[in-house]
Amino acid sequence: MNARILVVDDDPAIAEMIGIVLRGEDLEPEFADDGAVALAAFRDHRPDLVLLDVMLPGIDGVEVCRQIRAESGVPVIMLTARGDTADVVRGLESGADDYVVKPFNPKELVARIRARLRPALPEVPETIRIGDLSIDVAGHEVRREGVRINLTPLEFQLLLALAAKPQQVFTREMLLEQVWGYHYKADTRLVNVHVQRLRAKVETDPDDPRIVTTVRGVGYRAGAVA
Amino acid sequence: MRFDWRSWRDRLRRLWRGSLRVRAVAVTIVLSTVASIAVGAYISVSVRGNLFDQRRDQIVVEAGRATAAAQSVFTQTQGTTGTPDLDTAQQRAIDSINRSVSTQPLLSLQRAPGQTGLAPIEDQASPAFDDAMATGALRSAVLDGGLDKVSWQSIALPETHGGTGPGIVAGSLIDIPGAGRYELFLVYDLSDVQDTLNFVQGTLALGGVALVLLIGAVAYVIVRLVVGPVREAADTSEKLAAGQLEERLRERGDDELATLARSFNRMADSLQQQISQLADLSRLQQRFVSDVSHELRTPLTTIRLAGDVLYDQRDEFPPATKRTAELLHAQTQRFEVLLGDLLEMSRYDAGAVQLDLEPTNLVRLVEDAVEWVRPLAVEKETEVRVIAPGGYFEAEVDARRIRRILQNLLGNAIDHGEGRPIDVHVDSDAAAVAIAVRDHGIGMSATDAQRVFDRFWRADPSRRRTTGGTGLGLAIAQEDAAVHGGRLEVWSEPGEGSCFRLTLPRRRGEALRGSPLDLPPADPDDESAATRGVAS
Repeated sequence: MNARILVVDDDPAIAEMIGIVLRGEDLEPEFADDGAVALAAFRDHRPDLVLLDVMLPGIDGVEVCRQIRAESGVPVIMLTARGDTADVVRGLESGADDYVVKPFNPKELVARIRARLRPALPEVPETIRIGDLSIDVAGHEVRREGVRINLTPLEFQLLLALAAKPQQVFTREMLLEQVWGYHYKADTRLVNVHVQRLRAKVETDPDDPRIVTTVRGVGYRAGAVA
Repeated sequence: MRFDWRSWRDRLRRLWRGSLRVRAVAVTIVLSTVASIAVGAYISVSVRGNLFDQRRDQIVVEAGRATAAAQSVFTQTQGTTGTPDLDTAQQRAIDSINRSVSTQPLLSLQRAPGQTGLAPIEDQASPAFDDAMATGALRSAVLDGGLDKVSWQSIALPETHGGTGPGIVAGSLIDIPGAGRYELFLVYDLSDVQDTLNFVQGTLALGGVALVLLIGAVAYVIVRLVVGPVREAADTSEKLAAGQLEERLRERGDDELATLARSFNRMADSLQQQISQLADLSRLQQRFVSDVSHELRTPLTTIRLAGDVLYDQRDEFPPATKRTAELLHAQTQRFEVLLGDLLEMSRYDAGAVQLDLEPTNLVRLVEDAVEWVRPLAVEKETEVRVIAPGGYFEAEVDARRIRRILQNLLGNAIDHGEGRPIDVHVDSDAAAVAIAVRDHGIGMSATDAQRVFDRFWRADPSRRRTTGGTGLGLAIAQEDAAVHGGRLEVWSEPGEGSCFRLTLPRRRGEALRGSPLDLPPADPDDESAATRGVAS
């Protein structure tokens, strides 16, 4: 069965064009032209991925993302005409996994969609510890002292990548390749914002990170096991 | 000790230069000290003179009286019959002298020198009298003066507590019948006069000091009255400069300071208005850029998507349609790039550029950029070499913008390089890091080189642009350099090639002075340059 993609954009021409592109790649598009319709469609049809335009009439795209995120870990890719850092960060912080700036290369969009749909398969032991957390790899769960912490699939992959090789310092490019699946020069801002989101969820003190530590000038590394 | 003095001197100098109050009060004190010293000295001298003269006159009169009294005693003995008893007479004379004087001078009655015969009576003198007290000058004045004249001289008298004090010696001549001429010396101690003088001088000095201090205090108060408002104006200016545009001065009264305050406030009003207007304009422009960006990009997205879909399927079309799809694809790309450049330029013009600073290894960045242009370099059969003696540290830069500059410079270099190798030099020094892209191609004239950073300017409009440039690449590159606090400069020689040098400060906020690389840098394997002695 083909993967189902929910396309949320208020411009009918763009929506239709994206639909043509997706069908050409054996992906099945569904359409919504504003925030309320998008949320309803999401809840009713449970798509495999959501393409979300930030500028929507009615409910703002960022708000839609937040609400979707509150209910599900479904991959969300933002579409935006504004490439400014502030706007991108805002969108990523609300829960999106990636963003694409309009106008975009359709092949690039498809590659990113496929990367997000691909399940992750690193060979790792069943339980890994990082900091004072324990990660149940098969069950995709992260616990601190028995209390479960909710992470999106991408956040989970990020944490897992760091925890699986605790000695390794990962550059942002390495993380983009391993976690996001991008084999070309993508925007490292993705990594920055996701690390911050992860820290907000798993660190006891996000300003003093112990679990995801920064190695200045290089990248990130897993903190010591507590 | 020496070090202490120097730092004190510097401190004083800074205090002097930094405070109007200190200067005014210091000058007042110095001048009034000079004035009071002058006046005090004058008073002191004239009081001293007067005291001295008075006492001297008194002494001369007294001495005259004493001399007359003694003389009359001796003259009286002449009238008696028989041999006169000179000893008794002498004693009576001395008694009469002592009765004639008010203070107790030292006394000496001695035979005048140069007389014949033996002295019938002894010289008499007070125990403390010292012959040295009557100097030679006085003695000769006495002898020359005759019987009625009293001569005097000031001398220094030994004090009881050591040292010397002022004194006057009065001398006169007495004729003793039967004994000859005798000199009478009276030595007066003027130490009481000296005491009076000392007292007066002491009082003057005290009064002078008090006066100077008082004047200093008055000066300080007055200066504060004036400098106070000036100080206030300076502080308010400081606050205005820091951005608190609401600050104003208090306007009190009608004097010059109030006028200053009023003018200042009017200026501040005008400034505030201007700045607010400019801020509003800038916000409007940023808003416009933002809106245009969104609006233009929406239809362009569809055009791009549609164009790409057609382009992917072009082989299925008849030749004319296939060619149409290719042209559409290429021009859509060009439009996108142009739009992006225009919007970037607008952002710089509106001052709405945000830097995304990250510690970046510049040599790695250069190598990445060279990799990125590799397809173009291969197509033009151009070799690109990186020569990096320095620049391996992590610089705080916006990597995306620096990469953009490098890609632009490399693209231009390959385009105009005529197939000859291109050298990319990277070097650094304590203050800055520099990247220079040197090609050995067609070059341009000096006038062209000056205009190369102008917007939409092309050196040779008819030249085919393989890199699809928009005409804004170098203008944006220059802005990208400037926003980092750096510089982008060009050197070119027709037939020799061109060199574009990017210089960035190592630390944000520091001004650039020189550059670690020359413009153009020496070619790595150019022996002829060495033999020619080209300045590098």
